Amino acid sequence: MKNVKNANYVQIDHEIRISEEKDVIILSSPEAYKRFRWSREYFKKKPEEGYFIWVKNSINHPLITCISISSKNISQNPINLVVIEKDVKAEIYSICNAVKKNLCGNHVGYSKVIAKENSRLEMRHFHRWGKEDTVNSNLEFFLKKGAELSHNYKCLEVPMKLKMENNTYLEESSSVNFVITILAKDSEVEMNDSIFLNGRESNGISRVRMIGDKKSRINAHSKIIANDAGTGHLDCMGLLLAEDSSINAIPELVNRNKDASLTHEASVGKISEEILNYLRSRGLTEDQAIDLIVSGFLGEEEPIAVEGSIVSSKLYM
Amino acid sequence: MLKIDNLSVKVNGKNILKKINLKINNGEIHALLGPNASGKSSLVYTTMGFPDYNVTGGKIIFNGKDITDLQIEERVKLGMTSVFQHPPSIKGLKLSKLLEKISKKNIELKELNNLLEREINVGFSGGERKLSEIVQVISLDPSFVIFDELDAGLDLENLERLTSLIKNELDNKSILLITHRGRILRFLKPDIVHVMIDGKIVCSSKDWKRIWETIEVYGYEKCKECELRSNRS
Repeated sequence: MKNVKNANYVQIDHEIRISEEKDVIILSSPEAYKRFRWSREYFKKKPEEGYFIWVKNSINHPLITCISISSKNISQNPINLVVIEKDVKAEIYSICNAVKKNLCGNHVGYSKVIAKENSRLEMRHFHRWGKEDTVNSNLEFFLKKGAELSHNYKCLEVPMKLKMENNTYLEESSSVNFVITILAKDSEVEMNDSIFLNGRESNGISRVRMIGDKKSRINAHSKIIANDAGTGHLDCMGLLLAEDSSINAIPELVNRNKDASLTHEASVGKISEEILNYLRSRGLTEDQAIDLIVSGFLGEEEPIAVEGSIVSSKLYM
Repeated sequence: MLKIDNLSVKVNGKNILKKINLKINNGEIHALLGPNASGKSSLVYTTMGFPDYNVTGGKIIFNGKDITDLQIEERVKLGMTSVFQHPPSIKGLKLSKLLEKISKKNIELKELNNLLEREINVGFSGGERKLSEIVQVISLDPSFVIFDELDAGLDLENLERLTSLIKNELDNKSILLITHRGRILRFLKPDIVHVMIDGKIVCSSKDWKRIWETIEVYGYEKCKECELRSNRS
């Protein structure tokens, strides 16, 4: 736990440590299940591990959770529940990782986020795994009327197998902005990301950025389903860095309401020669130019300041 | 500084440049005029070492060194660079990030603040594109710069502003201006002007005003048989 000094919930293998926070209830999920009868309707099943975060009043700094695998052959099954109360603003950094490269861990996470009326949640979700790990991540977001969610998922060190399933349900006038960034190398990634526009004036945007390097295979199925008069946009971009990698980007728009408006753009390709030569004409070598293009494509690595200390989004530990 | 000696170039099997000779000394400004598709931009890309431009004859000497077979970035390290007519848009890469990587020289410009945190050329206006290009080349602190159609798509006010930036920041550097409009000549007053038609330099002269007036009145065809043609002194 070297650098995540200020994390509110830390789980290493199966051991947990919780730091209390004013205006927020942070518990292990089994404890919350026991203590709050109402939470049971949200937990899919009785949890054995994972975190429960109930934000009752707005907080002006991010809450941090960290679930790590640090021993060999660990199998984690965290079930997490986050509830943001009405009119509350919150920020959460959620970190899941393996602390070493060859632990052969198995992480099956299930998280449910309830953002109540007019609440606002900014969530950054970082994954970093070893090549021998397998990871299955399931996320469900329920946005009540007028709620706003910004969710940024980034995994630049992908496990041998990564399976992700995100489902977001939007009520009237709620909005979600997803950014998913994945760099796969010697890995298989299966990603399904669906946004359901279930209320009028709901708005969903999903931006997926994928890089396929050496012997990687990415299947990314992004979908927006308009059941009411909302707006949605999908933006899937893939960059192939190696001949033996592949990306299947499948954007899908399902419109069941004549007043809804859905759009998408998608592109998958290699780095353009024109851009490479242009950057070389600025004195960069081909490798330097590729690095610059890739880091631009993946987005800036913004350091995260937490109570005076810095937690790099590249991760730590 | 730069000596292009009997240079012939093919692109996709087609002869584009035919036995070009050009000598630019230290601190000189040369202009290369010519109609569209005469081979001017091909000369830019060949001089910079772009891979699709196959040199089939002749050589390019820069500061006494034969650079004909050098990679693009190696040429840049020797001190040459170019402002391109159609620089590509680079999604995700901010101008500030590129400048951070390449800059040998700091430039402080108020107009630049609006561009630094934007993705390179994404949604840039014509003037912003040119400004971004010029700032990039100035930051490399080059000894020789090629400007490919700098005046294309610029209004007079912007052209004046950008040429004055060039005069201030690239004073005493060697410059090759590529243009088919000639408006820029008034601002940068070249030492020698050349005319290229169909991949050949057909005319070179110190009298840029006369050359440009001739072109404005008679068009580029007149240059082929103009009496100034052998009048370079």
